[in-house]
Amino acid sequence: MSYDYIEFGDTEKEFTSKIEEISGQNIFSCYQCGKCSAGCAFSNLMEKTINHTMQLVQLGKKEKVLQSNTHWVCASCLTCTVRCPREIDVAAVMEAIREYTLRYEPETIERLDLPEELLKKIPNIALVGSFRKKSEL
Amino acid sequence: MKNSYFPGCNLKTEAKGFEQSAIAVSKALDAELVEMPEWNCCGTVQTMTTDNLMRRIAPVRVLSRASNHVKELKNSQNQVITLCSMCNSTLKIVNAEVKENPNDLEKINFQLENDDLVYEGDMEVKHFLEILRDDVGYENIAKKVTNPLEGMKIASYYGCMLLHPEKAKIDDEEMPTVMESIVLSLGAEVVDWPYFKQCCGSYHIVDRDDIVNSQVVKIIRNAKKTGANALIVACPLCAYNLDNQQVELEKLGVEKEPIPIFYFTQLMAIAMGLPQKVNHFEDHHINPILLLKELGLIGKKK
Ligand code: SF4
Ligand code: SF4
Repeated sequence: MSYDYIEFGDTEKEFTSKIEEISGQNIFSCYQCGKCSAGCAFSNLMEKTINHTMQLVQLGKKEKVLQSNTHWVCASCLTCTVRCPREIDVAAVMEAIREYTLRYEPETIERLDLPEELLKKIPNIALVGSFRKKSEL
Repeated sequence: MKNSYFPGCNLKTEAKGFEQSAIAVSKALDAELVEMPEWNCCGTVQTMTTDNLMRRIAPVRVLSRASNHVKELKNSQNQVITLCSMCNSTLKIVNAEVKENPNDLEKINFQLENDDLVYEGDMEVKHFLEILRDDVGYENIAKKVTNPLEGMKIASYYGCMLLHPEKAKIDDEEMPTVMESIVLSLGAEVVDWPYFKQCCGSYHIVDRDDIVNSQVVKIIRNAKKTGANALIVACPLCAYNLDNQQVELEKLGVEKEPIPIFYFTQLMAIAMGLPQKVNHFEDHHINPILLLKELGLIGKKK
């Protein structure tokens, strides 16, 4: 069996290091136990599980990581962070993937798209939280 | 005893009943919450990035103003009290971060110069639940109860932010007891249920209410199954999601017979016989008065 399909060139390395830099985490400590995915309340809505995402970040597979909805579905509840046996702040890695996208890609939420009625009703902490997590605001 | 209190934005809008009941309760228990002057939004969600100091300025400004407020209050401890669990978590985390990284604090203080402020890293952030547990004590709460909440079966919903992460938690993250102990001291029954910290979907309510709905269904069904007739919360966003979305789910025909959502301080106010207007039940989406009347806890002739 050949492992030629695993490339870890400059492009891959750059993505991995950027995520490590933004999150302050050592991605390579992840040993794929799967506890993060098992405890996440939103795993069923994610195209890729969290531990799979962690592995793809280790491998520097930027396109695959960014294409998946995983980091956008994450609600920053930090359950994975408090449970990871390798003491990785997994939620911070999800945040770093969002940040990476927001710093280099266009915004995903346009404030004006939200109906007036909703804007009036929804608590402001939800609005501020949402904009902070999903836009450059 | 007076405590410096940081309200945060929602306590002045959707969660007026949380703030006013908490203040009334705090006075009755001699642990008065006194609003600090000139506070600003803490930013709601803490940034988990290593390199974004801008997002840490607002919380530090709050901490420095709270520190000045404590000096004015005299005989008050170096602590600022919050009610919203999101504010609590954000302020606690940033406080710990700047204490660990004096260089970052110096840069942030440089930004605060315009406001003539400087933060010395001398404050602690506490949630009101911690004050009730550590300063007031459950026995002293029980002593003030004049209207024991007989018949109420309460599922205590902590949500994520009271228990995560390590730097911000107010209790054991897998086995918390503070809310349950308060419920017991009010004469209500505690429901033991596994969904006490299952995330409500949080800010996804803005553009992905489907995510929130699927969580609310799980949480509410579990609460009902374990025999609860009400939930208590400590976060205006958890409150909104659990309260308003139960109504939405009923409209969609997914869930029937919604159960009321209370802030823990509202139940304290009722049990302690404080004036009902502090609770602002008119702001709730599911009317909590029905249950309270049914159980004979309000509207009794004295
Ligand atoms: S819990 Fe930690 S070590 Fe386990 S798979 Fe997730 S990130 Fe990796
Ligand atoms: S922080 Fe995000 S990824 Fe982690 S358990 Fe919570 S929702 Fe899932």
